[in-house]
Amino acid sequence: MTPFTLSILALLGLSLMGLPLGLTMIVAAIIYLGAAGQDMSIAAEQVLNGLNGSYVLLAVPLFIFSAGLMNAGSLTDRLLRFCNLLVGRMRGGLGHVNIVQSVIFAGMSGSAIADAAGSGKVQIEMMARGGAYPASYAAALTAVTAVIGPIIPPSIPMVLYALVADASIGYLFLAGVIPGLLMASAQMGINSWMAHRHDFPIAERVPLREVPRLTLEALPALLMPVILLGGIYGGVMTPTEAAAVAAAYAFLIAALFYRSLTLRQTYSAVVDSARSTAAIGMLIAGALAFNYVITSENVPNAVRDLLAGWNLSRLEFLLVVNLILLVLGCLMEGSTILLVVVPVLVPTAQALGVDMVHFGIVVVVNIMIGLVTPPYGLLLFIVAKLSGAPISAVVRHTLPFLAAMLAALMLMTFVPEIVLWLPRRFGYQG
Amino acid sequence: MSLACRLFGWARRRAENLLSLLLVVMFVAFLLQIVTRYVLNAPLSWTAELSTLAWLWGVLWGAALVLRDEEEIRFDVVYGALGDGARRVCDAVTGLAVVAVFGWSLPAMFDYVTFMKVERSAYLGIRFDILYSVWLVFAVAMIVRHAAIAWRAVVGRRA
Amino acid sequence: RAQSRRRLRFTAVFSDQDIRADAMRGFQRDLAADFDVELHLNATLFRQGTELVAIQRGNVEMANLSPQDLSRQIPAWSVMASAYLFRDADHMRKVFAGPIGAEFNRMAREQLNVHILGPLYFGTRHVNLRPRTRISTPADMRGLKLRMPPGETWQFLGEALGANPTPVAFAELYTALQSGTVDGQDNPLPTSRTMRFHEVTTQFVLTSHLVAYDLLSVSSRVWDALTPAQRQAVQAAADKAIEESTRRHLAQEEEMMAFFRSQGLEVYAPNQDAFRAEAQRRYLASAQSQSWPAGILDRVAAVR
Ligand code: NA
Ligand code: NA
Repeated sequence: MTPFTLSILALLGLSLMGLPLGLTMIVAAIIYLGAAGQDMSIAAEQVLNGLNGSYVLLAVPLFIFSAGLMNAGSLTDRLLRFCNLLVGRMRGGLGHVNIVQSVIFAGMSGSAIADAAGSGKVQIEMMARGGAYPASYAAALTAVTAVIGPIIPPSIPMVLYALVADASIGYLFLAGVIPGLLMASAQMGINSWMAHRHDFPIAERVPLREVPRLTLEALPALLMPVILLGGIYGGVMTPTEAAAVAAAYAFLIAALFYRSLTLRQTYSAVVDSARSTAAIGMLIAGALAFNYVITSENVPNAVRDLLAGWNLSRLEFLLVVNLILLVLGCLMEGSTILLVVVPVLVPTAQALGVDMVHFGIVVVVNIMIGLVTPPYGLLLFIVAKLSGAPISAVVRHTLPFLAAMLAALMLMTFVPEIVLWLPRRFGYQG
Repeated sequence: MSLACRLFGWARRRAENLLSLLLVVMFVAFLLQIVTRYVLNAPLSWTAELSTLAWLWGVLWGAALVLRDEEEIRFDVVYGALGDGARRVCDAVTGLAVVAVFGWSLPAMFDYVTFMKVERSAYLGIRFDILYSVWLVFAVAMIVRHAAIAWRAVVGRRA
Repeated sequence: RAQSRRRLRFTAVFSDQDIRADAMRGFQRDLAADFDVELHLNATLFRQGTELVAIQRGNVEMANLSPQDLSRQIPAWSVMASAYLFRDADHMRKVFAGPIGAEFNRMAREQLNVHILGPLYFGTRHVNLRPRTRISTPADMRGLKLRMPPGETWQFLGEALGANPTPVAFAELYTALQSGTVDGQDNPLPTSRTMRFHEVTTQFVLTSHLVAYDLLSVSSRVWDALTPAQRQAVQAAADKAIEESTRRHLAQEEEMMAFFRSQGLEVYAPNQDAFRAEAQRRYLASAQSQSWPAGILDRVAAVR
């Protein structure tokens, strides 16, 4: 058995047996190095220099932190109440609230996990209160709407993609806006259809005199995306720095404007964010270690040669990428795909003249859909846990949404203009 | 509660304090960087180094000493569907694998970390063997934690 | 014959499309009879700045090391990364081919176990600015936020040019220039073209402040284990790669000047003597020049 085979077997075996993924990848890398007679400390070298050397990755902990502060500081609650004003009176209105809330939240948070885990509980409870909606439907909707988070900027997966593809983060962020809105519209369509079919109720009317207060309360939270994007494109900060500004803004609004943040809550937001950071960071660390195995074995070149041998046209290549990523998305975690699989695809995409920003959006949307695709949809597990609904019922309700999102994915894959129109308005030359 | 247990809990909370401090340091360094560049037009250059170091330490320190087993990201489709006995077998196998692999590589890891004394960080001038020593903390913690997991799986005490 | 083939893994930061990648593929072909040269580009095997330790620890056989990398462990080497040391690529090549080069290569061998095959030129760094301010002397650079790569020596270089050096990640540089987060950047002209910086800036000031090169290096343990014939073959292949890469870079830089002018950008040389005097004054006043061999600047300048 070659060291590479041994290492792959260790990776599969140990992860199936429940060892945490990041740690599994580090162990598999050390096994490879040991079996190949190489210096085993290369695993440590890759993790340490990799974490120390990738400045743009710092957006990950900072966006997690800002989401934590928004939840602790009740920015999320206030947004939810405001959305209820906008669409609560339509049939399936609370479902629309769930969607619109995610679109707005998407403009502030970089992470789908943060959206689902942070605001998901409130959304599910609101929808399921008094048996208005089945808990499993509420959970499914929360999961699929959370997917929009990293498609509309800012976005942690896009930051990771920019790192491996050396693409401009600023243009990737702009490119995500229209696809994100497209997916949200598709979800609203499905939600309306479901609401009529299952005769879902309409939300209670909000008294008119409450409208100004609720709007005013939500205003500072609504301003956040404006401030972030204005700051990035106005020359105040880089996209990575925007993550820190988002956290600072959430903190200031919660502490000074809403006066809803105690010292204890602040500390627990810090602790929770730091813990999530360590958990996600381990996954990145594992990918950095295992990346050495992949590179040392010249796997990227082999895959590139294989793909080149198939002589795919640009469209066929994109279709194959969609298939590969959707299958892998069911099996692997998003950051792992971005850090390990995508670097293999990038050279072929470049050779075929695929625009790197367009490719980035296709890749990120694929990976996000993977978060709600059974059997390994991380978001499905999270919402099932939050709602108490059985996972099978949640999965059943996500299926129509999944179909709509796949249709949207195909549209943006084959019509790059949908993705590239906005960045080009801002000077992108691709 | 025994003294050992209390001591362990106390140490774990201090480890958590340090982890939180690292996140705050990263956050403050970023804000300083923006303010000194945009408002004062006098960019600082050590802030980027400080925040990446806080991130590096935060990940490995947190994973070693703060995260609980249930917080870690794992592929539990198969594992989650297993019965109690089968899970104990898995825990024993994975636990022993981690102990063996980290134990086997520890001398090499130690050699690398101490070798790094030849370089210093660009701005703060801290020796890299000191900065990278957090890997040894991580490796030893993995050995100890997974030895405990394997032990519990073998003797059958619930975690 | 049972002579086993040697594996030479080479790690570098530049990409597949780079002129240097072509040159190294030539190196690979020239040695194909005796060696398996594996090219790991794009910093996929070892990250930028970590290649030196990888060679020292025997984890890779060959690498493209920057003079800044060497100066982190041998402070005297920092002079080789200092601004306005070399007049142009030819001057740099002559210095490395002469006694000064031999002296510095010996330090690398004795202290780092690194055998240097030669300097791989990849362009001369110039300042590229967003504001239209005419630049003649370092005083005109005052207050400009000039993006310089992260690292102390780079930031010092930015100050030596009279600017406010600002570290920004390379991947974010285009957006930072476009939005005005920074006022300018410095890179060789072909790099500025590849990254399309000309779209978001108005002028190239041909400061020629740094003749950019890396050191094509091989682990001295690997080198010492080669037969004399093999050493000669490796050195000849390296010389050829360096020659070809230098020639093509120089031609490309000429083309770039014409291209940027055709795009409506100002391309002009400032008072280079004023920049050189100011930079050398700052270097000699700084702590890093304490470790430089006595009189090194004059000795280098005397090479014709
Ligand atoms: Na939602
Ligand atoms: Na987002």
